[in-house]
Amino acid sequence: MGTPIIEFKNFSYYYPNTEEPAIKQIHATIEEGDFVGLIGPNKAGKSTACLSMIGIAPHILGGDWMGDVVVNHETIQSSNVSDFTKIVGVVFQDAESQFTQETVEDEIAFAMCNMGFERSEMIKRVNEVAISCNLTEFLERSPFQLSGGQQQRLAVACLLALRPKVIILDESTSQLDPKGRDEVFKLVKELHRQGRTIIMVDHNIEKMAEYTTKLMVFFEGELKLYGPTSEILQQKELLNDYHIRLPQVTDAAYGLKETYQFTKLPINLEEASRTFKEYRGQENGSNYSNQESCP
Amino acid sequence: MDPIIQTKNLVHEYKGGVQALKGVDVSILPNDLISIIGQNGSGKTTLVRHFNGLLKPTEGSVVIDGEETTTKSVGYLSQKVGYVFQNPNHQIFSSTVMDELKVGPKNFKFSEEKTKERIEYVVNLLNLGKILDKHPMTLDYTRKKLVTIASVLAYAPKVMILDEPTGGLDEDGRRLLRKILSLLHEQGNTVVMISHDMDFVAENTDRVIVMAEGKVLLDSQIANVFSETEILEKAWIEPPQITLLGLDVDPEKRIFLSVGDFVSHYKNRSSQKII
Repeated sequence: MGTPIIEFKNFSYYYPNTEEPAIKQIHATIEEGDFVGLIGPNKAGKSTACLSMIGIAPHILGGDWMGDVVVNHETIQSSNVSDFTKIVGVVFQDAESQFTQETVEDEIAFAMCNMGFERSEMIKRVNEVAISCNLTEFLERSPFQLSGGQQQRLAVACLLALRPKVIILDESTSQLDPKGRDEVFKLVKELHRQGRTIIMVDHNIEKMAEYTTKLMVFFEGELKLYGPTSEILQQKELLNDYHIRLPQVTDAAYGLKETYQFTKLPINLEEASRTFKEYRGQENGSNYSNQESCP
Repeated sequence: MDPIIQTKNLVHEYKGGVQALKGVDVSILPNDLISIIGQNGSGKTTLVRHFNGLLKPTEGSVVIDGEETTTKSVGYLSQKVGYVFQNPNHQIFSSTVMDELKVGPKNFKFSEEKTKERIEYVVNLLNLGKILDKHPMTLDYTRKKLVTIASVLAYAPKVMILDEPTGGLDEDGRRLLRKILSLLHEQGNTVVMISHDMDFVAENTDRVIVMAEGKVLLDSQIANVFSETEILEKAWIEPPQITLLGLDVDPEKRIFLSVGDFVSHYKNRSSQKII
């Protein structure tokens, strides 16, 4: 068991002037170094859960809550958004709307400037995150002249400069073209490899299966399932009940489960290719056993 | 059959000299169900904005339903070609869903009776009955998007242009959109969809136009397009996961466009072996 970084303790949250909670009795722990995907239909509670992890709900949005959210040992009861932002950073779908500066360099430095960082430290960090987010050639450019993928990378860079332990991306890729989307996934994969905790909301189930280590399944404000990605994606009937489909290759293996007697469904293209090729080997007379090939 | 949309050597240059279209020839027939794909900046949106006169050619011509767009107003062309924007926030401006649905029929001077009939039809089709009094901007993204689609369907244009219709939609929204596309097709409408969502494109359209750098790279039936791996790489397009799996594991390199196709094929193959 790893070190808990975010803990939901029977947490429910009500937006102002509402009687039904947007999230109900969420009880779950995210550990340092996890890459957690939040999936579920719209209005299932995914974004509200993200807003709670940074304290925006309830400290900025208002409303009522029950239970607690603990971020790096600080409780939502006893902390405010600025305490949480030292640990957690969030990037929303429309990155452009959060930019205010004339150049990429100034945009990255903006939050540090507000927090009173030394100039030399700011310059050092701007250069550091520009390299890790592949933005060095754009430092003098206006944030508004960047492509969608570059803007999302800039939004991540702005967060990274503050060195948060946790990065949340809430539907950051939904309006991007495939190139921009791949740029963002590549970047978060690298940040995860470096040890950061990543929390991501995205409707692209194939990408979620490929990149995340754990999945949280939300439906009607409740956390219905939480566990390793490869285990969650074995449960087609349950996921369908929660209006979630399987990745295409997983669904194909599910459809052929009886025919080929698969004991575990592949969740990404690489695993599926291996599984089906091995089956072909079996068809052609080798001693292949799918049970052995799918640990 | 005469095309409902035809461009000939279409060039579009924006102010400042950026040439977004560099001689595009496209012919779309009535009842076609077409996707235009390509990365951002490839010219897809610039092209379709010529179809309802939002943009006029710098060179070349665009003919819609037999009429050159240069001589027609956007209002006139919009009645024939409905356009659903990528971002619903850029399209919605009424204070209730009902008022939003009435905008098109009112602008095109539909009778009261016809307006009522069309609105009832789209409300039932898209399950909007419970939200008619709500402010559209308070809805979740999927519902907002469905309202924008309904508001265009309400005035029954012959051609529907959908710019990234699945962006931000959940599975329920995608299922509903699938139903609408199939219904529009059955009713004889023409649908042109811009999309990055290759699973959706593969399962829901017949023909695909691939664009890159202001030009048409490929215009063909969908199965042919996904076998052109070099062209797709150039346009930064990744075929659906099931297509890639088929290309990798199928000895005959068949192009599978849906999970259903893949499963049926391998089930049949397995039963034939047993026989």
